[in-house]
Amino acid sequence: MIYMFKVGVIGDKDSVLAFKALGVEVFTVTEADEARKTVDTMARNNYGVIFITEQIASLIPDTVDRYDKEIIPAVILIPSNQGTLNIGMDRINENVEKAVGSNIL
Amino acid sequence: MKVGKIVKVSGPLVVAEGMDEANVYDVVQVSDFKLVGEIIEMRDDRASIQVYEETTGIGPGDPVYTTGEPLSVELGPGMIEAMFDGIQRPLNKFREVSGDFMTRGTKVDNLDREKKWDFTPTVKVGDKVVSGDVIGTVQETTLILHKVMVPPGISGEVTEIKEGSFNIVEDICVLDGEKKIQMMQKWAVRKGRPFTRKLNPDVPLVTGQRVIDTFFPVAKGGTAAIPGPFGSGKTVVQHQLAKWADTEIVVYVGCGERGNEMTDVLMEFPEIIDPKTGESLMKRTVLIANTSNMPVAAREASIYTGITIAEYFRDMGYSVAIMADSTSRWAEALREMSGRLEEMPGDEGYPAYLASRAAAFYERSGKVICDGSDGREGAITVIGAVSPPGGDISEPVSQATLRIVKVFWGLDHALSYKRHFPAINWLNSYTLYQTKMDQWMAANIDPEFAKNRAKSMNLLQEEASLQEIVRLVGRDSLSDEDQLKLEATKSMREDYLQQNAFHDVDTFCSLEKQNKMLKLILEFYDLGMKALEKGVYLKDIEHMPVREKIARSKYIEEEELHKIDEISVELNEEIDKLIEEGGILNA
Repeated sequence: MIYMFKVGVIGDKDSVLAFKALGVEVFTVTEADEARKTVDTMARNNYGVIFITEQIASLIPDTVDRYDKEIIPAVILIPSNQGTLNIGMDRINENVEKAVGSNIL
Repeated sequence: MKVGKIVKVSGPLVVAEGMDEANVYDVVQVSDFKLVGEIIEMRDDRASIQVYEETTGIGPGDPVYTTGEPLSVELGPGMIEAMFDGIQRPLNKFREVSGDFMTRGTKVDNLDREKKWDFTPTVKVGDKVVSGDVIGTVQETTLILHKVMVPPGISGEVTEIKEGSFNIVEDICVLDGEKKIQMMQKWAVRKGRPFTRKLNPDVPLVTGQRVIDTFFPVAKGGTAAIPGPFGSGKTVVQHQLAKWADTEIVVYVGCGERGNEMTDVLMEFPEIIDPKTGESLMKRTVLIANTSNMPVAAREASIYTGITIAEYFRDMGYSVAIMADSTSRWAEALREMSGRLEEMPGDEGYPAYLASRAAAFYERSGKVICDGSDGREGAITVIGAVSPPGGDISEPVSQATLRIVKVFWGLDHALSYKRHFPAINWLNSYTLYQTKMDQWMAANIDPEFAKNRAKSMNLLQEEASLQEIVRLVGRDSLSDEDQLKLEATKSMREDYLQQNAFHDVDTFCSLEKQNKMLKLILEFYDLGMKALEKGVYLKDIEHMPVREKIARSKYIEEEELHKIDEISVELNEEIDKLIEEGGILNA
């Protein structure tokens, strides 16, 4: 049986609304508490990939770290409409360094 | 008796010839100084004598007088609160006679002959008594009722019994019109006092030390060893046990250790009030001191003197604990004498009979039905410190001891370096009384106690393996569950296993309190796990305000144990709050 995971995106309204057009479920949040609960709830509800804007992710580092250790869901940081904070890219660089020992990017 | 003549002097060993009338283990008086010595070997008419005093100035040709008696101690009222040397000479009397240090050849009675004791008989004329029967009592200290017993090997019908004030050598009772009994009896130290039957030890010796009582209990009538390197706290553990163990009599043998450690005991014990009786601890303590600057030969005897005194009190039906600090010095004394006797050395120069001597000493412990017709029970618990050089317990004294004792409290230098006291390593210590003690705990403290103990020990063992992973890849790579486990075991180590001997409240912890504290820490772990499952963040669990209260629960006084229950309620509330706030309710 093929198991279907859902994809969701979290962020402020202006940044993420456009995802709706792609058929991705959109959750708009503004505060840390709200964001945290949303991520946790999604993780428990069969979401395989969670996109989250860097602005929101910077408010809830614990939650992002928590899913680092788990295979599912993948929490992926994206820039918001105000531009990037570079957290997302830093994380990728970090992971690359962990995997191959030096930054090859 | 024939007088012998010295032919050789080698330190504390003197060889004399012309001793054909003497027997091995007889006490002799060496030279005109009348130094006390004991024959330890006989060849033809040549006797090797270990002298319990300094032998300077003695040479070949000097006389040796035999007494025909084995080395004995005097047993009777007046032993409690006293401090004796290795062959039971009273040190305080010594001081009056010869000043701060012992002058050799000084003659002092072992027990005070002058002092009058109020004797109350418990038998009447016409009663039949056998050896070991109590014929009367003397209130020796406010705590100890000294029972005057018929000496071993004597029995008969009471034809005369006195009441009133007597000294210890006056006749107080006559059996069959001819056998006179005094309050004092003599007993040879190298021979165990008789008893009717040995029992299986099944009651724990409550020491008030959490790591000992909970994880590695010793039974009343059991044997325990505390090996540990220098500075790991052997002496402090021994002192704590002497202070708080729930025995009626404590015999503390300071054997070859520093003099100031005995001074500590002398200064501290009178000030400490026994929580059970409200009296000074000194009123139940007998001290035997052979410090490192005292003659070596007497060190060998001090252990036997101590256990003989302990046996005497056991025969009265008391529970006695004897602490020997340290048996390594005793073994070294054996080695020194053995070397001078030119015997074939065994491992590391110790005599080949080291193991059998150690076994003979520890075997005199036990819970017994005492001699006498009333079937009273007494117990001797032996707790011996061992000081293995370099802390390596593969040396002969530790190994010989471990083969005999049933409880092993391994002190760990790494722990004491971390200021974790008592530095008893929970991973390599063991007790063979566990099942018996678990049964007792279930019946007397809490049916869950054994389960909780096993669970805690499992956690602590898992911690050790997790710590290895942490050392390799860091703590963050562990799962939240494992991190919580580490948090809980840290709490267990710091808030439970560690105990401050010098804190007024923490120095003694009743079983009741131990049970509650252990439960509280396990509850934190269980609830924390539950909260983690519900999606609560580890950080929030780690930073719960109630955790500080758990950490301080060891300072809760014995009268206020309900406060621990209150902390438990608080813990439950805080966890519930965390789950409500941060947990994912629809999970």
